[in-house]
Amino acid sequence: MSGPEKYAPKSALAGAMHSFEVNAIALILGAMTVITFVNVVLRYGFNSSLIWGLEVVLMLFAWLVIFGISHAFKITAHLGVDAVTNLLKGGPKKLVALASAAACLLYAVLLLKGSWDYWAPFAGSYQTTGRWFPTGIDWGTRDRAFYVTEQIPMPGFLRFLEGWINQGEVYDKLPRVVPYVMLPIGFALLVWRLVQATVDLVRDRRESLIVSHEAEDAVEEVAALNRGA
Amino acid sequence: MEVFLLFLVIIGLLLIGVPIAVALGLSSILFLLAYSDASLASVAQTFYQAMEGHYTLLAIPFFILASSFMSTGGVAQRIIRFAIACVGHLPGGLAIAGVLACMMFAALSGSSPATVVAIGSIVIAAMRQMGYSKDFAAGIICNAGTLGILIPPSIVMVVYASATDVSVGRMFLAGVIPGLLAGTMLMLTIYVIAKVRNLPRGEWLGWGEIWASFADAAWGLLLIVIIMVGIYGIPGLTGAIFTPTEAAAVASIYAFFIAIFVYRDMGPLAGKNGGRRISLLQNPKALITGFFHADTRRTLYDAGKLTITLMFIIANALILKQVLTEQQIPQAIAEAMLSVGFGKIMFLIVVNVILLIGGQFMEPSGLIVIVAPIVFPIALALGVDPIHLGIIMVVNMEIGMITPPVGLNLFVTSGVAGMSVMRVFRAALPFLGVLFAFLIMVTYIPILSTWLPTQVMGPEIIIK
Repeated sequence: MSGPEKYAPKSALAGAMHSFEVNAIALILGAMTVITFVNVVLRYGFNSSLIWGLEVVLMLFAWLVIFGISHAFKITAHLGVDAVTNLLKGGPKKLVALASAAACLLYAVLLLKGSWDYWAPFAGSYQTTGRWFPTGIDWGTRDRAFYVTEQIPMPGFLRFLEGWINQGEVYDKLPRVVPYVMLPIGFALLVWRLVQATVDLVRDRRESLIVSHEAEDAVEEVAALNRGA
Repeated sequence: MEVFLLFLVIIGLLLIGVPIAVALGLSSILFLLAYSDASLASVAQTFYQAMEGHYTLLAIPFFILASSFMSTGGVAQRIIRFAIACVGHLPGGLAIAGVLACMMFAALSGSSPATVVAIGSIVIAAMRQMGYSKDFAAGIICNAGTLGILIPPSIVMVVYASATDVSVGRMFLAGVIPGLLAGTMLMLTIYVIAKVRNLPRGEWLGWGEIWASFADAAWGLLLIVIIMVGIYGIPGLTGAIFTPTEAAAVASIYAFFIAIFVYRDMGPLAGKNGGRRISLLQNPKALITGFFHADTRRTLYDAGKLTITLMFIIANALILKQVLTEQQIPQAIAEAMLSVGFGKIMFLIVVNVILLIGGQFMEPSGLIVIVAPIVFPIALALGVDPIHLGIIMVVNMEIGMITPPVGLNLFVTSGVAGMSVMRVFRAALPFLGVLFAFLIMVTYIPILSTWLPTQVMGPEIIIK
């Protein structure tokens, strides 16, 4: 299972961030599984259920993926087609890799604007103007901070949100600002990781942004065993 | 016309090495911004809804997790031992056992590459020791490994069910008979080749070995029973117990307990460096530490990572799907096809060709998300059964996985066996022929796919 790690953190801070990301991914998936399982047990064993269970699991599912995209770029785990790029060498190969990084950056920047614009009204904040790229602040954004989730109870430690964004009015359920916050966070992280990846490409510290199949790590491990035998 | 441009952009981006997900997403976003009123905020919403709004897709992380716990070397080893005990004494026995092991492992994992790695890494070496040629061994595993997406549970089927709103339970059942048939066809072919070429056979180890190896593998194989009984209930006694998503979560928890506390190939009770495994009585605190042990975290992380890369593709494919629906592409294609006078047979051939070509470039789940909504309405209009269409699509994906230039299983097998991709392809070619014959059977004999689900779950209600 534990394949050879291609990614090696370069500093203590990067190391801490990496282990945070790894543990967060493991923890979110673990929590999703346990909550779903507990709900099944409650239904058959005790004829009851965590009414917020499903909604929380779906939220965690979205968080897992959106948070993980940048991590997967960092460790070069995203799938792509390398049949053509593998035919190239040296300068042209680097040029093509940089072009693909530029495409990814454009994607990330567009979605970062989209995420902010989607999230901001729920946070009582302002959307940006402009269709493609942010050109200014839309002061006329309609406030949606009062939107709450359907079943998720409001945890006490988040009560400060009521004063911050909801004019002091009490939330009876978790406001939507919380689940959606992962969108701007996730895509901001993505922009950051892609800038790093582009720098690494320029400095020849990495060759491409993709792997050709999901089992590449596992295959390398087996191939290493074969060579050893 | 603009849509044609859209697909050109996608292919162009793919060829310069942009990740599949970004190629789909970026070109769709550019298209939406240029040709429609959709805003970037609505794209972000679609992205979030890909996870939050698709309860069916939630089964994917859980199936991946269950198969990650089951993909430790130990489980594959036990299944192979059982398979050898059953059929090892036939001519070409080890090769037939390899196919059988792939079939059983496919039922534990929803992924073809995972099956090839787990079974191939053991069986290919064992076959060479028995005197088989490396090419023969690699060709068999490469083909049999594709059964991973046909034999339930299958991640590709979950994606198809989600994209077309058919029942996951029905799709899983529909895969059973074709899966067994494909496996049997491969095994018969090996048997005939073995007779002609006089390939080595193993010894009959007796019923004792069959029973002992079965008892050892049973904990792993029970996972299939939990999933199937959970989804369909016990015939005649209970109705369905879980939804497929819940069944997958329960299977993950079960697989965790088996891997940590019963097989003890990993976790706090595993023997260090080949040492003896520790009994729970000697280390009772493992009941707690097992949940947080480095191996558990590692498995959760690996499954999470795979979920992220798969769902990233699916979420972006859903953005593309939004574009296609908004532009009414499916209707336009359907009209064009019907006006030319395409019948059912021609339509199915076209579907085969599209998927065989698409399967060269795309990850199967992403391809399904894009192609299914396009061909689904046409299929309904022509009277093709949705379940049958799903199985045809899955079998096409299987073949796409073992045809160059980008066949996924070719790459995996070439890595596992240490051979070039072209050599694996030549080795796989005779068995690819078998799968091709199988595709034709599945395409033109719908009852292969539809009989079992209709028997178990009653006739299907098609809502147009």
